[in-house]
Order: sequence, then C-alpha cells, then structure tokens
Amino acid sequence: MKNNKNAPKSLGALFNKSDTIIAILLALIIGFLWFETTKFEKVPDLFSNNIPPEMFPQILLIIILGMVLIIPFEHIFLKKNGKDIDSSRINSVEFSTIGTMFILSAIIASSQVLGAALTIIAVSISLPIYWGERRLKVLISYVIGFPLFVIVLFNIILGVHFEPGLLELIKN
Amino acid sequence: MEDIIKGIGLLLEFQNILLILSGVLIGVLVGALPGLSSPMAIALLIPFTISLDPVAAIAMMAALYCAGTFGGSITAILINAPGAPPAVATALDGYPMAKNGEPGRALGLAAVSSVFGGIFSLIIFIFAAPLLAKLALEFGPAEYFGLAVFALSMLASMSGKSSLRNLISGLVGVLIGTIGIHLTTGVERFTFDIPDLEEGIHFVPVLIGLFAVSELFKQSEKLNAVVERIQAKALRLPTLFELKKLKYTILRSSGIGTFIGILPAEGSTVAAIIGYNEARRWSKDKDNFGKGSPEGIVGPEAANNAAAGGAMVPTLALGIPGSGSTALILAALIMHGFRPGPYLISETPEFVYAIFGAMLIANLGFLFIGLVGAKFFSLVAFIPKKLLWPAVFIFSMIGSYSFASSMFDVWVMLAAGLAGYFMDRHGFSAAPLVMGLILGKLVEESFSQSMIIHDNNFFALLESPVVLLFFVLTFLSLSSPFWTRYFSKK
Repeated sequence: MKNNKNAPKSLGALFNKSDTIIAILLALIIGFLWFETTKFEKVPDLFSNNIPPEMFPQILLIIILGMVLIIPFEHIFLKKNGKDIDSSRINSVEFSTIGTMFILSAIIASSQVLGAALTIIAVSISLPIYWGERRLKVLISYVIGFPLFVIVLFNIILGVHFEPGLLELIKN
Repeated sequence: MEDIIKGIGLLLEFQNILLILSGVLIGVLVGALPGLSSPMAIALLIPFTISLDPVAAIAMMAALYCAGTFGGSITAILINAPGAPPAVATALDGYPMAKNGEPGRALGLAAVSSVFGGIFSLIIFIFAAPLLAKLALEFGPAEYFGLAVFALSMLASMSGKSSLRNLISGLVGVLIGTIGIHLTTGVERFTFDIPDLEEGIHFVPVLIGLFAVSELFKQSEKLNAVVERIQAKALRLPTLFELKKLKYTILRSSGIGTFIGILPAEGSTVAAIIGYNEARRWSKDKDNFGKGSPEGIVGPEAANNAAAGGAMVPTLALGIPGSGSTALILAALIMHGFRPGPYLISETPEFVYAIFGAMLIANLGFLFIGLVGAKFFSLVAFIPKKLLWPAVFIFSMIGSYSFASSMFDVWVMLAAGLAGYFMDRHGFSAAPLVMGLILGKLVEESFSQSMIIHDNNFFALLESPVVLLFFVLTFLSLSSPFWTRYFSKK
C-alpha cells in the first residue's frame, strides 16, 4: 500500500474541532427551523397551486444541511489547495472586540431612552475612550464637532427624524 | 441613439452632475481608507438616497463603485495596505515602485490603466447589455430559475477561503429572503410572532451590518497598527512611449476584467488577480515582477476597473448581480421601484444609458481627482481609527434607522454585524449571503411558477434547452475545483 502523506494520521485528525462545533450548531439551527416550517399555517392544495409555503424553505434547509455535514472534513481538501481555514481564528476573540460589542449593544438598547442626539454623543465619547484615545483636545473637539455635524446634516438638512428622548424631558 | 441622448439629458442636470462627482469623491476616499470599502459606502448611502430621483441615486452609487475600485490602489501603492480587496494585486508591484522613489509614476500608471479598463468595459456594456436583455426577454420562469441557480453556483468561486462556505452563505441569504409573508399564499414564515418580521427582513440594515459593523469589530482588533507611508507629491501620468510599451497588457487585462465582471458573482478582486497573473505570464521581463514592474501595476488595475463595468451588464440586463457592490446597486434599484432585468432595458433604456454616462464621468472624474488630490488621499489613510470607526457606526445607526424609522432595523443591523464578524472568522464570506438575499425572491418566484407550469414535474424543466444549458454550467461551476486541479496537474 502506498504511503499517502496527506492521509490523516488518526480518526480525530479527520475532524477539525472548531468546524465540528460549527457544523453541530448549524445542524441544530437547521433542525429548529425545519420544526418551524412544520408549524406554518396549512393551505389547501388548490389555493397554494400544490406549492405549499413550507416547500421552498424545506428544500433549502435540506441542501444546506447536506453541505454543513461536509464542513468538519473540509479542512483536509482546503489543505491540499494550500489554504488554512484556521488562520483567521488561531487567536481567540480579543477582549477589546468583546468590549466593543458590549458597549454598542448597550448604547443601542438605551437609545430609545436617550434619544438620537444623546446616543450619537454617547458613541462619540465611549468608543474612542474605550479604544484608548487620551488626547483631551482631540476628544473634546470630536465629541462636540462630530455630533453637531451629524445633527446638522441629517436632522436639519436631510430631514431625518431624530427622537428627542431624554432631551425632551429636560426641556419640559 | 435617441435613448442615448435622452439618457445623457437626464444626467446633465446640475444636481445629478454634483451627485456623481460627490460619488466619485466619496468613492476615492473610502477606497483609500483601509477597512472602508465601496460596498460598505454604497450600503450606507442607500437609505439616504431613497428620497432622491432614481437616476441621481443610482448614478451616484455607480460613480462611487467605479471610483472606489481606483481609490483602493492609492493606499496599496503608498502604504502597501490595499484600501479595497481589488487592489491587493496592485500592491505587489505598486509599493516596490513607490519605494524605489517613483510613487507618482506608480499612481499615474494605476490611474491611466484604470480609466482605460473602465472605459473599455463601458463600451462592451453599452453593446452587450441590450443584446443580453433582448435574449432574456424570451426567458420564462423556468429559464430564470435555471439562470438564478447558475448565479448561485457561481458564488462558490467568489473570493474567500472556501467554496463550500460561500455556497452555504449564499443559500442562507436565500433562506433569510423567505422570512415574512409568503406572496402566493399569505402564510407567515419564520416570523416568530414578531410583527416587524411580517414584511420580511429589510435589505438595508443587513447590508450595513454585514459590510460596516462587522468591519468595525474587525478593526477593533488592530487599532494600534502602525503603517509606513511613502510621500507622493503628485500623480505623474505615463508618457506616450511608456503607454505604447504597455498597450497589450492594458488591452488584455481590460478584456479579462470585462469578461470576469460579466460572469455572475465574479468580482473585481478575482479579475485583478487574473489580470496580474496574465501580465506576468506574457511579460518579457518576468524577473522584474514584485520589484516594481509597470506591467504588474497596469495589469491588475485595468482588470479590476474593467470588471466594475462588466459587472453592471448582468446586473442591469438580467437582474443577476455581477459582484458584491452591484448586488447593493441592485437592491437600491429594487427599493426605487424598478424591476432589474430585461424589462428595465426595454422599457426605460434612457435610464440604463444614464447609468452608463455616470460611470463614464466617474472614470474621467477619478483621473482628475487623482491628478490634483493624490497627496491628500495618501494622507486620509492616517485618520485615527479610534475616531473614524465611531463615526462609521453613527452613520450605520442613522442609515439603518432612517430607512423605515424603526429601532428593530437597528437591532437587525447589529445582529448582522455580529454574524458577519463571526462568519468571517470561520471562513464564511458576507458577499455571497448578500447576493443570496437579493436573488432569493427571484429564485423562489421562478421556482414556484415553473413548478406550477410543469405540474410539479421538476424534470420537465429540462425540456428547455436554455434551462439544460444553465444546469450544465451549474454542474461545471460546482465541479470546477476538481477539474481545474486535474488540468493543472496535466
């Protein structure tokens, strides 16, 4: 038997760990969505022209599932083509990125209370400071100048409606 | 001829010219800023152009698209950081030439070859689009279904690490397109009793999330990256003698770029890489490649700009996007109430010619802007990321919200941004998802109509030679990784 250099050395090497987890997650989501399609309202065949509303999504889900099942082994084919699927995920997600996600989610969650103008100011202050901008003059001119520019451009010139939020309470 | 004059007439209004030139300026700016891209800028622009006249809105986006492709080469040449993916190949010889003390010459070669590639593809566009549309007018639902399946299969070969993951992304996009009320039966699908989902997911917040917000998360990982800049005082146009020496490379790359652009889903990046490889293969001075070869600059630049014009052909003639950016232009056309495809050309040819005119102006516009503003554009790459990206996020929020005055859309934008970030980490590209989302309606509608016509007999579709041809092309496209490897070994 020929010794194939590309052959995986053990059964574990057949599977890429991260991709296996992704495939399981995607398969679970597909299972859930399939279950959802079974709950679509039933329509008489005559009305639906024999194309029930769940038919097309179910076809898509089956095809996607078929492809998802290949994902754990795909790294073997990719390696043969000189591609490393793990290169972009060798390092875990940086703390600064997780923090950024958290800050932006919190700002969006509170934007209905804050109103548009204060939300814009909140983004202009929080992100640069969180990312390490410490030049006070730059920060102050940015925090005043940029929101002002945005409000003038979008609210006054382009007529985009900005929710007043907290500012209305203060005004009253 | 009358339609061409009408189309040009539509463009010649002062407001339209101003918007086209703004599109060029924004395009060169975002192209020159690493991380920002023309698809991202188009996505951000869509909600603000909804209230504009359709000609002005689409012309502005088309101009931005052309100029963005060129803008990416400025930073590729001066700081070895391609502002946009299509400029990746330009950096290979552009940066060494700039380092050798000729940054102005490198920028000049890039600008002139870009203009040539762009104009070449527009000439092809003006002839090919009406012909293709005339052919497509004969298409029924089955043929459209075949075409859409072929276009989806082409997503596999879009740039990215994995063909399989590109296809999954594309199909997930089609699946997202099924959310909302089913048009034929009125049944709610995947709405989870959320009223905002009844209308389906709006394109705009998804596009903004995938292109702008996910990039913000990526950029938050490299806030302190230091780049070395080469000073460029001005752009230096190549001499006639130099152009004569390079004419075959420019012509060849323009042809390659236009052809690749016309193929559904193949974008400027693929065109630029092939343009570069072909320039090297045909060069008499192969050893100079990677050290500042002029052919190494004009090859990819002519190709990537020609692909931009080429990609507009299937977008306007068939309603099938030729690239990520044209998928966004397609979305904008739909939002302005147009039905992209053969009827667009047969019923409103002047509109298509107006877009052609806008792209022509854009090509000449970025040459002029490049000539006078090379020094300025080389500086914009140094805007601190810590201030630039919060601004991008604010524009993203306003863009997503203002489209339907809905906070739900802002959450969709954030969700799409998070999904885009994690997808990218694991090798799933965002562009195929967007194209799937935009093609989704066409795929389902044409599938349902063909099934009704053929009494639910799928194999009856194959009786049409056009459908058969598209299915054969789909098979060839999906199996291409295997047969290309086989032939390359031979």
